[in-house]
Amino acid sequence: MTKIIEFSGICKDFKIPLKSKGFWGGVKSLFKRQHKIIHALKDVSFSIEEGDIVGYIGPNGAGKSTTIKIMSGILTPTSGDCKIDGFTPWKNRKKYVKNIGVVFGQRSQLWWDVPIKDSFLLLKDIYKIPTEEFNETLALLTKVLNLTDLLDCPLRQLSLGQKMKCELAGALLHKPKILFLDEPTIGLDAVTKLAVRDFIKYINRTWHTTIILTTHDMSDVDALTNKIILIGKGQILYNGSFAEIKHKYGTAKTITVEFAKEYPQVELEGYEVVSHNKNTAVFKTDNKEFNTRDFINHISEKYELVDFSVDMVSVDEILAKLYTEYDI
Amino acid sequence: MGSYFGLFKMHFKGEIQYRAKAISGALTQFFWGVMYIYLYSAFMGRGIEGFSTAQMVTYVWLGQAFFAMRFVNVPKNVCTQIENGDICYNFVRPLNLYNQWYFSYIGSTLASTLLRFIPIIVVASILPASMRLSLPVSLPAFLLFLIALIIGMLINGAISMFAVYLTFITLSTRGSTGIVNVVVGLLGGVYLPLPMLPQALQNVLNYMPFRCISDLPFRIYIGNMDIKTALVQILISLAWLIALIIIGKLLLKSSLKKTVIQGG
Repeated sequence: MTKIIEFSGICKDFKIPLKSKGFWGGVKSLFKRQHKIIHALKDVSFSIEEGDIVGYIGPNGAGKSTTIKIMSGILTPTSGDCKIDGFTPWKNRKKYVKNIGVVFGQRSQLWWDVPIKDSFLLLKDIYKIPTEEFNETLALLTKVLNLTDLLDCPLRQLSLGQKMKCELAGALLHKPKILFLDEPTIGLDAVTKLAVRDFIKYINRTWHTTIILTTHDMSDVDALTNKIILIGKGQILYNGSFAEIKHKYGTAKTITVEFAKEYPQVELEGYEVVSHNKNTAVFKTDNKEFNTRDFINHISEKYELVDFSVDMVSVDEILAKLYTEYDI
Repeated sequence: MGSYFGLFKMHFKGEIQYRAKAISGALTQFFWGVMYIYLYSAFMGRGIEGFSTAQMVTYVWLGQAFFAMRFVNVPKNVCTQIENGDICYNFVRPLNLYNQWYFSYIGSTLASTLLRFIPIIVVASILPASMRLSLPVSLPAFLLFLIALIIGMLINGAISMFAVYLTFITLSTRGSTGIVNVVVGLLGGVYLPLPMLPQALQNVLNYMPFRCISDLPFRIYIGNMDIKTALVQILISLAWLIALIIIGKLLLKSSLKKTVIQGG
């Protein structure tokens, strides 16, 4: 596997004017501006291998979008070096961006008042895509994303989900080697979300596109990839497998048991009773050594059970735990 | 080059869809035309040498007909993009940023000009004699008028890129277009035709780029200058066009290093 993205020691500072409070503060800042330096990224280094899907996660304001913007050549970092596909993004911008596709979930790259097809044709000109190849790719994207009815509508008439599908297609017309997705599923309904995820997986499989994705929806990451990079307060906190994190933080499970008779005050080592009422009780354990089968066997030998269910900790809870642990 | 022309076409198409906007624009322009003619007639009182009332009337109607290209705007999409951050997509395309914006701007300016000028020209040509738009003084003058008008539109685009640059710094389109348009309006003869200004001021303004946008073509049309002077002036505007584009590109390059994309 070759490394396609290498980030080494990237720092990015923003200088923002301080606004003073109140009327006199406002008047004062007309004459004298004070500035504050914000360190959006502090010595960020990581590398990503060709053909991978990587989830780039972190709380609001962690520096995710700043990283994406540096990777796509929009921002110049304050210091540090970055090599993507042999280019330094902000130095050879025009050459470099031919090989990448970018989708910012909250923005639009297509033209507002013309039919989608026209926007696509312009992108064909911009990326100098040969007609045959363009038709082939468009046919494929249209099929997979189900765009047939949308191509003749102007962008302004589309719904959010339809728009996102068109944006995705627009970013992929030139078959980029690397695809950056900045919150691609934001605001989408469940069905569209699933369609978008399937599509991302499909593209990764068929074209071996390297995909970097930021999101707040952990089920996106869960569905798409096993590799995550966790960033908080401008620093990389974790870089590795998602399963490992889940294993480390996601051991707690709750078991809800419904008894045939009245709840008999069960005491079991390692299990704590979280709540109970007339004939149901909720048990919880943090220890991964205990397995559910033994627990159920043990309990059903003694009592008559009607039903039981087991719940694992959700991915979002794991993430919340992670955030607290790293204090971000 | 093809992709830049594609952008030009795209914005031309985008603009040409808004018919109601064009109709209401034309109506407003017609109303203002009548107002200006009365206003300037009052100003001219005893008359101005080399600028007859009939010439003034034609100057006003041309000004209203080509209103869409007289003032400088920040390209509509560029300003919203700067304010909401969609601008980042312009960076991820393998295109030169200046050219991207320049061609988009010329596309939409040309479209809104073409949508408006015909009804105004037609109506102004059938008005009573004292209010009527006259024909160009001669065929060569008319051809030079067309050439000067095209260069004028291109200069407008180049100046508009300065407004884009200012928007980058101030993050407010209103402010930047305001500044640029006061300059263009005053020094380019939009508020008051240049022949009505003091001679000393005119001597300076005649060599500035602002008058090339609309004042020069209109004055060639009404025969306010002979063909030879017109040719020299057209050469001057060409030189300005090139200079403005080069300066604009350099400025934009330097400001992009400091770009911050708003939000998310």
